[in-house]
Amino acid sequence: MSSNLPILLFFVPFVTAVALPILTAKRRSWCAPLAIGAVSLMIVLSIANLRLVMSQGSIEYALGGWAVPLGIAWLDDPLAAVMVLAVSAVSLLSLIYGRAVAAARFDNSMPYYTLVLLLIAGLVGIVFAADLFNVFVFLEVSAISAYALVGAAGGSAAVYAFRYLLLGSLGATLYLLGVGHLYVATGTLNMADLATRIPELITSTAIVAGFIYIFLGLSIKMALIPLHGWLPDAYASAPRAVTPLLASTVTKVALVAWVRIEYSLIAPGVEVGHVPVLVLLEELGVIAALVGGSLALIQTDLKRMFAYGGIGHVGLILIGVSLGNPTGFAGGVFYLVNDAVMQLSLFMIAGAVAHYYGARTLDELRSLRQRSPWLTGALVVVAVGMVGLPPTGGFFGKWNIVLGALEAEHYLAAFAVVASTLLTLAYFVRILTNWFHQPAMPDAAPVELARPVYVSLGIVSVAMIVLGLLSDSIFEFLLRTGGGI
Amino acid sequence: MVDVLQALVQRPNFVVFVILFLWGVYIMAAHPNLVKKLIGLYIVQTSAIFFLVAFSAKDGATVPIIFTDSATVDAAVYANPLPHVLTVTAIVVQVATLGVSLALVSAIYRKFGSLDEDEVLERVE
Repeated sequence: MSSNLPILLFFVPFVTAVALPILTAKRRSWCAPLAIGAVSLMIVLSIANLRLVMSQGSIEYALGGWAVPLGIAWLDDPLAAVMVLAVSAVSLLSLIYGRAVAAARFDNSMPYYTLVLLLIAGLVGIVFAADLFNVFVFLEVSAISAYALVGAAGGSAAVYAFRYLLLGSLGATLYLLGVGHLYVATGTLNMADLATRIPELITSTAIVAGFIYIFLGLSIKMALIPLHGWLPDAYASAPRAVTPLLASTVTKVALVAWVRIEYSLIAPGVEVGHVPVLVLLEELGVIAALVGGSLALIQTDLKRMFAYGGIGHVGLILIGVSLGNPTGFAGGVFYLVNDAVMQLSLFMIAGAVAHYYGARTLDELRSLRQRSPWLTGALVVVAVGMVGLPPTGGFFGKWNIVLGALEAEHYLAAFAVVASTLLTLAYFVRILTNWFHQPAMPDAAPVELARPVYVSLGIVSVAMIVLGLLSDSIFEFLLRTGGGI
Repeated sequence: MVDVLQALVQRPNFVVFVILFLWGVYIMAAHPNLVKKLIGLYIVQTSAIFFLVAFSAKDGATVPIIFTDSATVDAAVYANPLPHVLTVTAIVVQVATLGVSLALVSAIYRKFGSLDEDEVLERVE
């Protein structure tokens, strides 16, 4: 039983997604309880899985009992265990929150819950897969659900979803080409196998081309600048109920796929034609962090500002994992988990503000006179987390990335982290000055938030601080991810 | 120069792959019509599948079912099944993507009454 946890974690959302249309054909009110029940079960399983990995270390899971290299391998290592727990928790909160703010036609809508569950199943698959082609399949399972969810609102959302689909599919095709190149050169798709064969072939054109294709493909999926074009419009126009889930998981899990590939296949210090690969990736991260932060600063729409903030943070994480030392790696991955939680909180706030006050832009925030204390509190906590002040997890992640950069003597990277922190501070100052612009009306009762909304906002805010308090043990745990460094 | 030409002539499959890929990307980028963009995407995806099939082609090889009982198996006689499996899976993914994309296109057409990207974007903004 316990050794089958990875596949169970995948099957719970997947089977529920497939069964949902049948089970709820005559009882539409079963949709939400079934979906929420399935995701709650995932949380229980992923906690059990986390405990298992903590006590036994990484587990290699051979699908169908076919041993590697003939079969398909899943790897249940600390990175996967932490990410699966994060994905399940984030999904549960956004499902609960989604019920409260969704448009009426999403209420107990079978397609909505089916797509969300399929998305979650795809994400779990990406996190566990230790086989390049398996990653491709799950990337597409999650991406197809994400396109449909973004376009679900119809109208302009469908236009941006279509653009997302074109770019996302192009990214997937590039990734597939890269996988083909690596397969031609090495004859295997298993990451552990590739790791033993690639070092001696790293200068071969096929391998280099393969890595470039894979990186380009995943860059589109993780919205790394300059391939981020689809993200802000898609997230700004997607339905309120799904944006928190998409923003906090889809790009982050694509990044996890890249982290796994980079971490196990590209050894630190490898040079191709005198170009140090990891340093190149790190510089791309520096560009993304700085440009993303600057673009966020000039936005006037709340959701778009948060979307660009997330794009900048993808750069920060890429810097962390590309430093080539354990401190930076742990910092980057820890920040990744944190960023998932923070993006969830940001888009839940943006959605709630739009739902209860009808405000989308900073100017509309200026005129608010009845501020909900829950929203104010959540906004302040997430601002502290995004800027990176202790005791939130954001601080410890960034701190370790900076320490790792100093350890590797990459001062540009350290500078970029600090500069992006200042940019984040700048745009949160903009938001908060607009938020507190008008004095609160003394006698008017504040707008009452629905209970699911404030409960999930509260849990997310607490989670950010708890992650910060537990950061030391999480770092230590993440460093037990076996492999290159 | 001669080396490059020779390399190209010896690898017609890969030349076709490159042409298909670039052609598809060009259509995706240049055509304002949404359905034509989809056709471009389809050509790009097909080029990737063509690439997988091209490198796995093997002269005189047969299906990978082992006929003999003897312990030694001559791998040269059999085609490599793995790229073909990848191809089938990639086609399935492609079909699913195509379904979602056509649904989105028809939603856009119903709402805006046009398939021209410029017109649609004008009406969105």
